[in-house]
Formats: sequence, C-alpha cells, structure tokens
Amino acid sequence: MTAVTLRAGSWLSLPVRRRSLAIAGFLVAGILLIGFLTLTLGRLGIAPDALLPAILGTSTGPDRIVFGTIRGPRLLTAIAAGAAFGIAGTLFQAVTRNPLGSPDVIGLSSGAAAGAAAFGLVWTGILPLPVGALVGAFAAMALVWAGTGRGFSSPSRMLLVGIGISAMAVAFVQYAIARAGVEQAVVVAAYVNGSLAARSWEHVAIITVSLLLLVPCALLLSRRLQLIEMGDEQADALGARSASTRLSAILIGIGLATAAVSVAGPIAFIALTAPQIARRLSRMPGPGILLSALMGGFLLALADLVAQQAPFGVQLPVGILTAAIGGVYLGYLLVTEWKKGTV
Amino acid sequence: MATSVPAPSGTTGSVLLSARGLRLAYDERIVAEDLSIEIPDGGFTVIVGPNASGKSTLLKALARTLKPQAGRVLLDGAPIDSYPSKAVARKLAMLPQTPIAPEAITVRDLVGRGRYPHQRMLRQWSPADQRAVSSAIAATGSDDIAERYMSELSGGQRQRAWIAMVLAQETELLLLDEPTTFLDIAHQYDVLDLCARLHVEGRTLVAVLHDLNQAARYATNLVVMKQGEIVAQGDPNDILTGDLVQRVFGLSSVIITDPESGTPMVIPRMR
Repeated sequence: MTAVTLRAGSWLSLPVRRRSLAIAGFLVAGILLIGFLTLTLGRLGIAPDALLPAILGTSTGPDRIVFGTIRGPRLLTAIAAGAAFGIAGTLFQAVTRNPLGSPDVIGLSSGAAAGAAAFGLVWTGILPLPVGALVGAFAAMALVWAGTGRGFSSPSRMLLVGIGISAMAVAFVQYAIARAGVEQAVVVAAYVNGSLAARSWEHVAIITVSLLLLVPCALLLSRRLQLIEMGDEQADALGARSASTRLSAILIGIGLATAAVSVAGPIAFIALTAPQIARRLSRMPGPGILLSALMGGFLLALADLVAQQAPFGVQLPVGILTAAIGGVYLGYLLVTEWKKGTV
Repeated sequence: MATSVPAPSGTTGSVLLSARGLRLAYDERIVAEDLSIEIPDGGFTVIVGPNASGKSTLLKALARTLKPQAGRVLLDGAPIDSYPSKAVARKLAMLPQTPIAPEAITVRDLVGRGRYPHQRMLRQWSPADQRAVSSAIAATGSDDIAERYMSELSGGQRQRAWIAMVLAQETELLLLDEPTTFLDIAHQYDVLDLCARLHVEGRTLVAVLHDLNQAARYATNLVVMKQGEIVAQGDPNDILTGDLVQRVFGLSSVIITDPESGTPMVIPRMR
C-alpha cells in the first residue's frame, strides 16, 4: 500500500499517501526557495546574511523598506493568492467534472476584469477597482447560473455558457480600454491582466483572512467532492448530497477566486493549471485541496519572480506571463479533451 | 421461493422497502402516476419492461436519487427522506446504470469510496473499512485486479469493481440499474451469478434487467412494468405467460421450460 494511516485513539484515522506527502514537502521547499530568491535577487535585493533581521523587523536602513513595503507583501500576496486560485480551480473542476471548468475559463476571471474596467474607465469614481472586480466576478457567475437554465446542476452547460460569458466580458474590457484616455487605460490594463506590483500588508491581510475562513470549509467538502466525480446519482446514493455539495463548492470557489482577484487582479490560468499539475504529480484520484493550494502558491510566486527579474526591458504584469504560458496549456488541454470527447 | 432466506434482523416484521402512490417525473414529463410497490425482504426482485416503461425511474425513486412529485418511499416503516442521507446509504446501496470512474483510480480506491456512509470527518479509514473493502473485493473475485487502474480494465472487470464498491457499503438492500448492459454474454451471467449468490447469502436485491429469460431464471419476484404501471408481479413461474409478453412487449411468443433451470423461457414466434 502506498498509503499510511494517521491514527490517534479511535476518533482519528486519516489516510495519507506517501507520494502526496513527498510532493507537498517539495512544494513547501520550492516556495521557500522562491521566497528567498525573490527577496535577495536584483538591484534592491537583501543580502542573504541580512535576510533574517529584515524579516524579523530588527534591521534598519533600506533592507527594512525592501522587505516591509516592497518585496515582503508582494511575495506573500503572490503565495496566498496563488493558493486561493489553486483551491478555487480544484473546486470548480471537481463539480464540473472537467479540467476546463476552472474559474478562469468559465468567466469568473474575465468577469472580474470587466468589472474593474467598468468601474475604472466607464463609470469612474463609484467603486475602487478591487471592489469593481468583485462585482464583475459575481455578475459573471450570476449570468452563468441564469444562462444554464438549471443553475449549477449541469456541468456541460456551465462550461459552454461560461465560455460565452467570458468572451463577452473580454469584449467589454476591450471596449472600455479603447474608449478611455491613455493614462487611465494604462492603469486599468495592468490591473485587468493581474499584477502584483506595489502590494501592501493590507492585501496580505485580506487574502490571508479569506484563506483562513474558506480553506477549512473546502476541506470539509473534499470527500463529498470525490464522490461527485462518480456522477451525481452515485454520489446521492452514497449519501453525499450532490446538489448541496456542488452549490457549497461553487460558493467557496467564488469566494476564494474573488478574494485572490481583489488583491492580485484576475491572474489567468493559475486556477486552471495548479490543480491539474498537482493531480498528475501526485497520481491521486480526486481533488487534492491542499496540494492544489501549495501548487498554486508555488506557480504564482515563481511567475512573479520571473516577472520581476527577467530581462524583458519593462516590469511586466505577472498576469501577462501566466497567460502566455497558461495559454499553451489550455490549447493542449482543449486538444486532449476534444479527443476524449469530453468537450 | 424455496431459495429465499429470512431477512436480516432489525426489520421488525414490516417490509423494509416499499413505495406508495408515487408520481415520478423528469421536470414536466410524467413517467408514472400513483405507482406502489413492496419489495419482499430477502428476495431477488427483477424489474422488466419495454423501453420507457419507467423501470429505471422507479429504481431511482426507491434509491431516493429521484425525488417523487407525490407519494412516498418507505424505508423500515418511515419515509426515506426522513433519515439523514448517510443513514440511508448504510441500509441501501444503489449502482446506477452509468457511473463515472474518476481518472487514475485503482479498483481498491474505488471500492474504498463505498465506505463513505460509514466514515466520519476525522475517522476516514478504520479497520472495519479495511475489512469491508477486502471482503467486497474477494466476494466479486476482483483480487487479481485490485491494484490496477479502472481505465485498464475490460467492461466485465469494471462492472465487478463497481459491484464491489456497492458491496463495501455493507447494506441489507442492493439496487442495481441494468448491471448487465454493455457486457458480453459470459460476463452477463458472471454478474447475475454473483447477484444470485449475494441473494442466497441474505441480501435483498432489486435489479432492472432487459433480458426476460435472465430475469425469469434469477428472479424470486418478477415485476413487469408498462407505461409507468406495474402490470404483473410475482414468482416468474406463476406470472410469465405468452399472453403477458404479448400485452406488455407486443411480442408473440411461446413459453417453454428452461432445460437448465426449470424456469420459464420466452421463445419469440417466427414471423
């Protein structure tokens, strides 16, 4: 057996797979390494031996500012938002039984971008950008819910309607940018792609609190989500109540994805790819909430490190980078799913 | 019904599973109206009928995966929806017609999922779970495929794995929706023999089948449906007549005795 069982008395017995445990360990180590590189590389980098005092807040001078206001919050926001995207992705993919059913494909992320564009460029001054993004994300999901004609109960309809809503939202963003002034458009353009530049501890607090509230809820659902994968009828027969499970998972997923969007913008493809990569590496049947979270945090922190340090000539918003790489993966996924006949 | 075995204890004399006055529908389309049935404890009930006669729909209602628009399903004397869903799943297991095997799952892991109704948040894998999974795998003769991935298996092996999953639920009642569909004929009889053995060992089985001769050979209680109504019910030896087959299926036939099992056998007439 590849699983060991964690036991304590007769009340606790949780099966844990060795392979999953090893991968979790590698991911934690990877995140720490990326964190180290993010803080030490480049013109503003903190010298490795000065790192600990900077983190503990005992150092003075430029290191204090580099960690305290520039790179520290940015790094932590990247890790936490990546984790939130990863979990949101695995929840959505589980209830739609399709790797394409992730929030960035079915309209949540582009809805958020459209919301930001609407309140940043069209109806300016009513709401700040992050709140506009939240409104857009919820509006997009409400449209998906209404558009399927059956709420969230039909995975294939959710996918099709979601892709349509997503396309409409992207068109709206283009329209809003086209009619805006150049200066405004630059600000909003960076935001609608998702950017981690100039994050503050407030961002870190928002996303951390969201994770603390919603991750336990997601974990409570995880076993019922496994059963939903076998079809709603089988899940119902086993007592897993598919309708309420699906609705709860979607609400938790929307909560996590919008929290991530509100601190980092609608960064593309982390939600799509993190759960899939985690699943393939762990060879685990069923959605792995914690592994998807670690993988999401790892991927986004890595992408942001590249965005900061790579010689592009400009500081690219990290969302452009993830979109460029994730787009390739989406194409691959479409082709393979098409061959399997699941699209 | 010489082979029938007394029902497992705890049934307090009343029928374990029954339905009264069901109206069954998918959205607007009504499949059955005022449908009632009693499932004999310890019996092997087989439901047959032409396509769209409502047999799978009735099975879904009995398994509470389809909510009736009117009427009620009674489990152990109380409405089935008055129990917590997991409590029902400890008494009644259902294998749908087309369950979906998750990606990259081994037979053992799949069978393990049948233990969900017995597990709790912090007690997800007890020695009892381990035993139930092992004995379900053994009972279906799946030991040799237990560590293999579902996607590598043949249709017959896969069906055995699914049946092992519902067996791991350790329920008195077992509901199977067309368990032989998509299998070649030898594997069909493998599955039916397995069902017969489970029945002899004391479980109450309800299965939807397509093949009348298989139904007549294995059922202790045959339920014949047409257009959402139960036309006949009882021992196949008593109820299966050429007249019934003509009325229900519109097929002219003679009934002979199956030389192997002594049960009635439907032979369609030459046209």
